Amino acid sequence: MIELKNLTKKFGDFTAVDHLNLQIKTGEFFGLLGPNGAGKTTTISMLSTVLLPTEGEILINGVPLTRKASAQKRKLSVITQEYSMRQDMTISEVMEYQGRLYYMSRKEIKEKSKALLEFADLYRYKNRVVRHLSGGMKRKLMICRGLMIDPEIMLLDEPTAGMDALSRRQMWSLLRQINDRDLTIILTTHYMEEAESLCDRIALIDHGKLDTIDTPHNLIAALGAFAVDEMKDGELKSSFFRNRQDAITYLSDAPEDASLRTTTLEDVFVERIGSHLMKK
Amino acid sequence: MGIITVLWEKWTEFKRDFYKITLAAMISPLMYLVIFGMGIQTTSHGEPYLNYLIPGIVAMSSMTGSFSAVAQNMSVQRLYEKALDQVMISPTPLWQFILGQIIGGSMRGMYSSCIIMLLTMPIHTGLIFNGYSFFILFLDGMVFSTIALVLSFTAKSYADAPKYTSYIITPMSFLCNTFFSTEQMPAGFRQIVSILPLSQCSSMVRSIAYGENPGYLGVIILLVYLAIFSTISFIFIYKKKNL
Repeated sequence: MIELKNLTKKFGDFTAVDHLNLQIKTGEFFGLLGPNGAGKTTTISMLSTVLLPTEGEILINGVPLTRKASAQKRKLSVITQEYSMRQDMTISEVMEYQGRLYYMSRKEIKEKSKALLEFADLYRYKNRVVRHLSGGMKRKLMICRGLMIDPEIMLLDEPTAGMDALSRRQMWSLLRQINDRDLTIILTTHYMEEAESLCDRIALIDHGKLDTIDTPHNLIAALGAFAVDEMKDGELKSSFFRNRQDAITYLSDAPEDASLRTTTLEDVFVERIGSHLMKK
Repeated sequence: MGIITVLWEKWTEFKRDFYKITLAAMISPLMYLVIFGMGIQTTSHGEPYLNYLIPGIVAMSSMTGSFSAVAQNMSVQRLYEKALDQVMISPTPLWQFILGQIIGGSMRGMYSSCIIMLLTMPIHTGLIFNGYSFFILFLDGMVFSTIALVLSFTAKSYADAPKYTSYIITPMSFLCNTFFSTEQMPAGFRQIVSILPLSQCSSMVRSIAYGENPGYLGVIILLVYLAIFSTISFIFIYKKKNL
């Protein structure tokens, strides 16, 4: 289990993460959602020890995570938002470097690297330098590098950012397969559809604070599983209903262009976080 | 084990950029040797000036080689490629990573120095470079690798790396016993410059080259620099909140 206890990160006067408390169960696919600047990447950076908390702590199975905690760090693998790897290394060298950093034997590095690169369809490019790879190939390489070490916990910071729809779907399928191995995954994403499809539980954060936490199903149900969209004063307005009958009744009195649909996680995000932003 | 990993990374980089690294290590020192040593022919301390210049250039090459190998690499990894994140999260102890960088940087400095020694070999100067010279050059490279580490951990942007070269490395190259003796400097300024690591390294390598005993004070001074800057690098990598 991963526990974030009163986790706070300040940059001068600016508080990026504000007393965040979370408990993430072993084997869980956990989503961290929020608008730009909500503190998602800062939280991931603290989980990867690149940033140290101003206050609070992170515990993995009850043991504090610090830069010196080699045993804890051995369990972790991070896929950052940016392509955080040597751009002048070849694909093979990136994989070997990762293996060496995690004390793998040369034989193990060779075998594992080949299997993963073949799985991601990158093996034939193994001698290509990273800076000459496409964005999608770099993302796949980051996943392969992350899996090289058989982690127990994987931190994914917007792993599909900038990918086309097809590559994104391929990535989802890959992530589901990974999660089936009982791996704990913490995902940050701007794609609500991605979070809804992949995550067991989701935490919405805004201005570094926890807004709400639940399963995608419960978050949607709490807002109302059915939505009616209609144009009011030149703006698209959505009304939410817990059951279909109420929605249909409402729709019968609504203008002709109104439509009924099921509520999505994006609606939850817009209603909860968007309303805060509007107020500000 | 972590040290070997960093050395492997440095070796990979060296193999890939062999020609670039070798040419960069040769061009400036060769220009200095040709212009000041052969173009403007003069004597110093009763010896041909070239004999004075070569040990200074050898020492300077160890400084520039080790500094640039670590400062550029680490600044790019930390600020531009974010590749340092991969190391930070790995179980490799960070002190081993630092030590690997220091040794790897120093080896690059030694390589630069050895190139100058090889290039000047046909001149038959009679200068001596022995095991003690190599030890001093290695130590000097370690000192400048740690300085490079500290500076790259404090750099706020990638553009800061060339600034450090302009403000620290270039003045040291010209002032610290490379082209002329610090004894010729005004009092006060002389004492400050004399205690800088490159002044100590040049002075000792030159003494050995002339067949004199360089003593051990310079080694102690270099070890003090190494201890100070290594400690700062360890503090930064373990304690700096926003690395």
